[in-house]
Formats: sequence, structure tokens, C-alpha cells
Amino acid sequence: MESNMETLAKPRKRSGLNFNIALLVILVALILIIGIRNPTFLTYNYMMSVVVKNIMEIGLMALPMTLIVITAGIDLSVGSIMIFSAIAGGMVAQSMGDGMGILVTMAVGIICGLANGLIIVKLKISPLITTLATFFLFRGIAKGMTQGDSVYSYDFTTAVGNMEFGGFPLVLIVFIVAAVVFTLLLSKTAFGRSLYALGLNENATRYSGIKADRTLIAIYVISGVICALAAYFYLGRFSSVKFDVANSMNLKVVTVIVLGGTSILGGVGDMKGTIIAIFIIAVLNSGLTVMNIPIDVQTIIQGTVLIISLIVYSILGERAKKRRILDVSKAGGPGSGSIEGGAAQTPA
Amino acid sequence: MGESKSRFKKMLTTEFYLLIFLVAILVIMKAAAPDFYSVNNIMTVLNYFSYLLIAAIGMNLIIITSNIDVAAGSIISVVAIVIAFVGKTGAPLPVFLIAGMGTGLVLSWLNGLFITKLNIPAIVATLATTQLFIGALPLVVEGSIYDLPASFTWLAFQAKIFGVIPASVAFAAVITAGFMLFMRYSRFSKKLYAVGNNKHAATLTGINVNKMMVLAFAIAGPLYGICGTIIATAGQRVTTTMGNGFEMTIIAAVVLGGTSISGGSGKIIGTVLGAFILSLITPAMNYIGLSSDWSDAVMGAIILLAVIVASISTLTKNKKVIIVPDQGAASPEAQAQTAPVGTAAPEVK
Amino acid sequence: MIVKKKIALVLVIALALVTALSFGACSSGGDSATTDEGTPPASDDQATEESTDTPAAEKVTIAMLPKFKGENYFDACKVGAEEAIEELKASGADVELLYDGPPQSDATNQNQVNILEGWIAQKVNAILVSPNDPDAIAPTLKKAQEAGIKVLTFDADAAPDARDLFINQASYEAIGTGMIKAVADKLTEKGYGPDKPANLGFVSSAKTDANQKAWLDAAKEVIATDEYSWLKIANEETDVYYPGPDETEAQKQSGTLISRMGDGADQIQAAIGLTSMATPALGAQYEQAAKKPDASKVTMTGLATPNALKDYIKNDSNPLDSGVLWSCMDLGYLAVETAYQYSIGTITADSTTMTTDRLGEREIANKEILLGDALIFDKANVDEFDY
Repeated sequence: MESNMETLAKPRKRSGLNFNIALLVILVALILIIGIRNPTFLTYNYMMSVVVKNIMEIGLMALPMTLIVITAGIDLSVGSIMIFSAIAGGMVAQSMGDGMGILVTMAVGIICGLANGLIIVKLKISPLITTLATFFLFRGIAKGMTQGDSVYSYDFTTAVGNMEFGGFPLVLIVFIVAAVVFTLLLSKTAFGRSLYALGLNENATRYSGIKADRTLIAIYVISGVICALAAYFYLGRFSSVKFDVANSMNLKVVTVIVLGGTSILGGVGDMKGTIIAIFIIAVLNSGLTVMNIPIDVQTIIQGTVLIISLIVYSILGERAKKRRILDVSKAGGPGSGSIEGGAAQTPA
Repeated sequence: MGESKSRFKKMLTTEFYLLIFLVAILVIMKAAAPDFYSVNNIMTVLNYFSYLLIAAIGMNLIIITSNIDVAAGSIISVVAIVIAFVGKTGAPLPVFLIAGMGTGLVLSWLNGLFITKLNIPAIVATLATTQLFIGALPLVVEGSIYDLPASFTWLAFQAKIFGVIPASVAFAAVITAGFMLFMRYSRFSKKLYAVGNNKHAATLTGINVNKMMVLAFAIAGPLYGICGTIIATAGQRVTTTMGNGFEMTIIAAVVLGGTSISGGSGKIIGTVLGAFILSLITPAMNYIGLSSDWSDAVMGAIILLAVIVASISTLTKNKKVIIVPDQGAASPEAQAQTAPVGTAAPEVK
Repeated sequence: MIVKKKIALVLVIALALVTALSFGACSSGGDSATTDEGTPPASDDQATEESTDTPAAEKVTIAMLPKFKGENYFDACKVGAEEAIEELKASGADVELLYDGPPQSDATNQNQVNILEGWIAQKVNAILVSPNDPDAIAPTLKKAQEAGIKVLTFDADAAPDARDLFINQASYEAIGTGMIKAVADKLTEKGYGPDKPANLGFVSSAKTDANQKAWLDAAKEVIATDEYSWLKIANEETDVYYPGPDETEAQKQSGTLISRMGDGADQIQAAIGLTSMATPALGAQYEQAAKKPDASKVTMTGLATPNALKDYIKNDSNPLDSGVLWSCMDLGYLAVETAYQYSIGTITADSTTMTTDRLGEREIANKEILLGDALIFDKANVDEFDY
């Protein structure tokens, strides 16, 4: 089975490389254009403390989300989990001290992720529906607990949220470590390969003896853990949070994933694409702001970038996809039909 | 044959559970807060229910074809601004209603084309177009459109059936009845379900899958238009963000109504019940004396509970039929139908 | 071979994308200039020119950040701000106004911070902000102060240590008293009083909005006094609604409040809108109500711009009889004038007064400048205002 996995991964890697080059070109071009039009953008200080720092929470959450989307899942509740764990931890820290706050934030993150995973895997409810419901549920609990009011940062979060080493924010170091770990996890381990297999064909993968249930639950729990990690930084950076940021955050994370070339249908994508996409969104957000482009135009530009990248993926993906299906039908065996139904829509 | 019978049974129970739940809420409210049944509150609830339901019916068609539309809310925002421009001139309801429906039709149809022509999953395609729609509005309108004439608010302020029932309820009733008949008797609806169940099989039986998907979006568009018209005419001022975020509630109503997000199933009656339960939550909590801060949590819990109940009843039934743990009942079919492709492929190579 | 072709294709498309983007950026740069009014060339071009060519120019850039864009109230503030800029320019000052804010449906602290960061990096001279969340925005405002930018709040305050001056429209007490008095007068006319108490209902914004919180507290203090002790908030959990700044949500929750109104002891007799979304929504939802609560038994008032309430106030069958506000244009005008004078050093943090051409002298106390009294408008004078 291991060798089958290799054949699955190969065509993806080849096309994935191309996408990543394109993304990198876009990123560099954007930085240059914005930098020429407004040199302040290129200063070390702006790059570190604004461009990079503003995207880090979204960036962190996008890493495990890439794993989830590769298995053909989705998690619409990441923003809600982050806010819920930040708020729960912040409230506990007020009365029971920092230690408990830290623990509670992490515990809430794990429990939320575990809940998502168990419902999706054990009850066979689609990830989209499950996380749509938990999006309302987690955000709603956060809103109810605080009665819509703010929760304040405590010493620990304030410290980690603002810690810098020579202008190099702690959150960026954490992100780099996490990015490396996730990249290796996805590309170098059997666990990573099993995610692709699950995304391409869950049935065949189950037959092949991979513990599919355990793997799937694990990635949702990982997502919860990372959300809690992001929560510390978010709470510290703003000194107080309330429930309402969850909405826009979810969609931003999905935007990053899609821009990074991970197919929402599963089985296609890699971590490098996501990482480059994180910085493209960061540059777009903070770069257009520094050029005094109104926030509405920024939304349009972000949408346009997304649409163009979708079109590119669609054009280039056609060919890669065809080849992949041939490979899979050779490798996947009895259940290959479901890829046909999902990934390759019938031509008009 | 046994398959379709058990599926029918499953649908029946999903809706049955919902109905019981709905009746339970209504009975509890009767006991806990009799004021809840004041004519005014009922009509306020019904008005919200109406426009949520109208949009949810459109969303239901899209979800039946195994797509999803997260641009619904932003289309409603665009519709609200368009009809405010038209209504500002003093044009009567039919004129701006048609303008609204036309706007909805065009935008949603474009979404459908975008998805099918470029073969992009609906959730990401509509996510992208949402950003275009939302971003464009504030550039066209600086601030809000206010001081709208009496003809604009006529629908909300004056149009009452028997002097009490808002006209929006009549809209919803007619549309719901129409679609229930349509879904039951038309060949078109059978094709919609077929597309959602298994695209490949549908193609083999001669259905133009892409056309059906575009049509589902194109039908939903005017329904969003009507929904947007009801929302916008609620006051003399229209802002650029009136529908933003509403798509989540619309999708929630459809999901609560038992429509599977993987397509091929779902009935209008379920959506009606789902939308009705969702429109009760906030006012019911307020009347009982609970802070509305908890309404999002309650809403999430109810959706989760509903899908879990539906899933458990399916799982226990299907265990007898399917040995391989599987995502849905449609898959054995899918495997059977697509087997020829799977075997043919190596030959091509 | 195929791979190479693919790379080529990707590159071509990427380049097309980038060109499209830079075009988009150019045209939208122009766009921001037109919305900012009065600066013909693209504003960002000016900014770069300024920073590279003429470093010591006396140009003052004032950046204004409302809670959200796209609603009458802040639009009126913006009109006043632009008038101040025109006046300053006419008197020979080199001054520029940047104006941006989050959309109404996503009026979050995060969005405000994103905009602020851009301005801080450009080193604008002064920032005028109306925060959605007074505490969460404080770290960013402090960062602006550290960068040498004058930070002023208008309309709503931030944490006091994070701003230099606050341009307040009217004292919280004045507004609280104004609203309660307006309601009490009407209710007395309608037969309520110490022997027939009345219940109040409020429609606020989000829980974190400093203004609404302060006004509600002020109103609570007023009804705690003997004179108005017959006015009550029966249950603060359910009788104060928090729909947030969203228009549709304000309509929905106002509708629920209207349906609870009537003359019964367990009903609500007076509804007060605390935001410029909520008050018109109350008027509209009353018009919509299937069985309108008897207008001779209930009353409504609240904060809103006169334009948004005109029709309801003039309509005798609608119990929305009055509105409370201040001159938004004057607020925007005063805010920009203060920011300008503070930037060029005409006034300092220790000044006790400041003067403007239009408004005359204003006192500065406790790092606060008060615009003036609350303005109560009703049928008699509502047509005198146009904003």
C-alpha cells in the first residue's frame, strides 16, 4: 500500500511546485509594486510589526486547516474556537490566576477540536455542517458567557502577545516553528500521506488498513490546539477581545487555504502553498492600507486575486487532475468512483 | 427499492422530529410567556420567518444539487441598494420588486456560470464573488440611501392582509406552496435530485448536469431578490450591508430542515420547519426572560442536535446494509455507477 | 515539456494578475482622493512626493476613523470635517484629510486597527478615532503616540491614557437626562406618573460601546432620583437590547421590543433608541407592527439624525415624537479643527481653551473638549435640520 501512496503523491507534487512558483512570483511582485509606491512599506519595522504580526493568528490557524482540507474536510469554526478559548481563559485568569487561564484556554481548544472531530467521524456528519453548527455554538457560548462584553488580557498573554527579540516578534518565531513542523508532517510522514489518501478516496484508504477515524479526529484536535495557541497571542496583542471577530476570521482562513492551491475537494495541496498565500494576504491587507486604498477596494482586490487564482487552478488543474484519476483508478481499486463524482465534474 | 423506501422513512422522521420540537417550543412558550402570542409578536416573527424562508428555499435548491452558496447574503445587500435606487424615484412596489428579482437573478446566475464553466467548487467560488459584491457597494453608495418615499415602505408599513398579516407572509406562502408542488410533480426537480445524488450517473441518464446547477442558482437569485426587497423596505433607509452575514442563517435553516449538504435529498417542508424554528429562537428567549446573548449558542446547539439525531437514525438503519463505514447512503450507488470508468481508465492509459 | 509549458502559462497569468492589480491600485488610489474630496491628484502620490521631495513642508495630514462607514451619523460628521478642511485651506494652511472606516456589518476593533496601522506607518500628523472598543484599541493608539502622532478621539472615547484629547459631543449626563426627560414629559401627558409607573425599554449597540454604556448609566441614574422614580427598567437582561451596529439586526430586535409595548404593567411603555440605527428602526417597526401599540399609551425617543426620523416625528399616529442629538457636522468640524491646532501647536495638552472660526471658544477640561448641549428636536423644528 505504501507504494501506492507514493504514486498518489507524485503528480500532485509536480503540479504543486508550479503553483507555488506562481504564488511566489505574485508575492514578490506585490511587495515590489507596493514598496515602490510607498517605501515605508518596505521598512523592517513595518514589515515585522504590522504586515507579519497582523496575519499571524490567521496564519497559525491556516496550517492545521490545510491538513483538514486535504482530507476533503473543512473547519468553519476555527475563528470561533480561537475566540471561545481566548475568552474562557481570560475569564478564568481573572478569578483563578494566570496558570488556570493558560490551562483553560488550551483545554477549551482541545475540547472544541475533539468535539468537531468526534461528531464528524463517529456520527458521519459532513464537516461543513458540523463546523457550521459549532461556529454558531462556540461563538454563541463565548458571547453568552461574556454577555457580549470584552474580556481582558492577563500577564501571560500580554507578555507573549507583545514579546519581541530585536523587533522580531515571538509570534513569528512560533509560526516559523509550526510551519516547519507542519510542512514536514505533511510531506515526510506516513501520517501526511494518509491525509492525501483520505482526501482522494476515503473508502479505499479505510480498506488499506489506515486508521482513518483516529487520523481524522487527530487533525481536528490539532486544529483546536493551534487555535488555542493563536488565542494567547491574539488576546495579548489587543489587550481585550470580544466575540465578534470570529466571523470574518473563518472566511479569511478559508481564503488563505484556497489561494494556496489546496483543493477544497481534498487530496490536492501542500503546506508551502498555504504559507506563501498567508504572506500574500498579509501583504495585500497591510500594503493596500499603507497606500490609503479604502477598505472596500481592498475587499474587491482580495476577491479578484482569489478569483484569478481559482481560474488558474481550474485551467491547470484539469490536466493534472486527469492524470491523477488515471493513477488513482489504478491504485485505488473498488471505490475510485467517488473521486470521479467529486473532483472531476462532467464536462459540459 | 428497499433503499428508496428507507430513505423516505428517514426523511419522514427528520421532519417529524422537527415538528415535535417546534410544537414543544410553542407549548412551552404558551405556558411560560403567554404574551408571546400577542398578535404583534406573532406577526413580527412571521415577517422574519417569511424572508428567511424565501431565501432558504432558493438555498435549498442549490444544496440539493450538492452545491452551496455563501454569496447569498451579499447578493441580498446588492439587491437592497438596487431597489433603494429605483424606489427613491417613487416607483411602486412591482417596479422595484422586479428590479430586485432581476438583480438577484443576474448575480446568482453569474455565480452558477462561474462554478460550472470553470469547474470550481461552489463554496470557494461564491466566497470569492462575495468579496466582489460586498466591496463594490460602498464605492457606489456613499453611506446610506435615506428619505425613501412612502411608496418604498408601502410593503412593510401598509400592505397588510385583513389588516394584520404582513404581505411578506403571503409572498412566502405562495412561493412555498408553488415550490412544494414544483418539487413534487415536475420532472425538473427529479433531475435536480439526480444531479445532487450522483453527477456521473445523472450524466449517463442524459441529464445536462451543468445546466441543472446553473438553473438552481438562477432560480435562487430572484428568491434572494424578494428576500432583499422585504428586508430593505422595512424602513426609510437602506444601508450597504443589510444582507451581509445572513447567508449563515439561511444555510442553517436549510440544514436544520434535514437537507443533506452532500446533495440529492431535502424537502421544502423541512426547510419551512427549519426556518420557523430559527426565527423563533431570539424572540422566544427574550419573552422567557433570557438574555439574547445566548441565542447564537442555542441556535448552534439546535442545529447540532438536529443533525446528530438525523445521523444516528440513518446510521442505525444503514448498518444493516453497508458494512464499510461510509459517509452517506449514496455511495454504493456511486461505486456501482462509476465502476465502468474505473475499469476503463487503465485501458486509456 | 508539459511542465515547462505549464510554468510558462502560470507565469503569464501571474503577470497579468499583477498588472491588473497595480491598475486596480492606481485607479483606487484616485478613488480615495475623490472620496476624500478636494485633493485632485491621488492622495498616496502626494504622500510619497511629500516624504521624498519636500521633507520639511508644513503639510498636516489628519486621518479620521469612524466606528463604521455608510450611515447618516458618521457621514454628517465627515461633511463637517471636510468643511473644516476647506476653511483651513482657504486660510492658507496645507492640510489633508484621510477618511476610512470598517463596513457597518463588520465594525470590529480588528478592522479599525488594520486601518490605523497603515496610518501610523505613513506618519500622519494626527489621528481622529471613534473606537468600537475603547480598551482593545488602546495598544494601537499608544503605538501611534510613541510614533509621535497626535491621537484624538471624537464621538466615543478610548481608554484615557491612550489618547491626548477627546472631543465629546455632549456630556453623558445631558444626554441621559435629555432622553429621560423627553420620555417622562410624554408619558405624563399620557396619564402615567408616580401612581401609575411606566417601564422603559432600550435598544443599544454592542455591549462594548463606551457611549451607549455611559448614556444608559446616566439614564439609570436619572430614574433613580425621586422625581423620575416612577420610570423603571423591569429586567435589564431582557429590556435592554444589544443588536450591535448592524442595521438588519437592529430592525429585528426593535420589532420584538415594539411587540412588547402596551399599557399593561408587564409591558413596556417607553422605548428609547441609543444609536442612530436603533431609533429609526423603532419608528419603522412601529409602522410595520400588525397591531400597533396604542399611541396614546406609549412613547418612543432616542438618538438619531433628524433626517432619519423626520417622517416618523411628523406622523401623528407614530409615538416616536422626538429625537435627541447634537450637531454632527459641528462635531466633525470641531474634531478636525482641534486636530489641526493641536498638530501645529496652537493648542497643547495644557491649554484650557481653544477657538474656531465657526464655533467660537470652547473649554478644554480634563483633556476633554465639549461641543455643547444635547439637541432635542420634535415636530416643531425637525425641518430646520438637514443631515
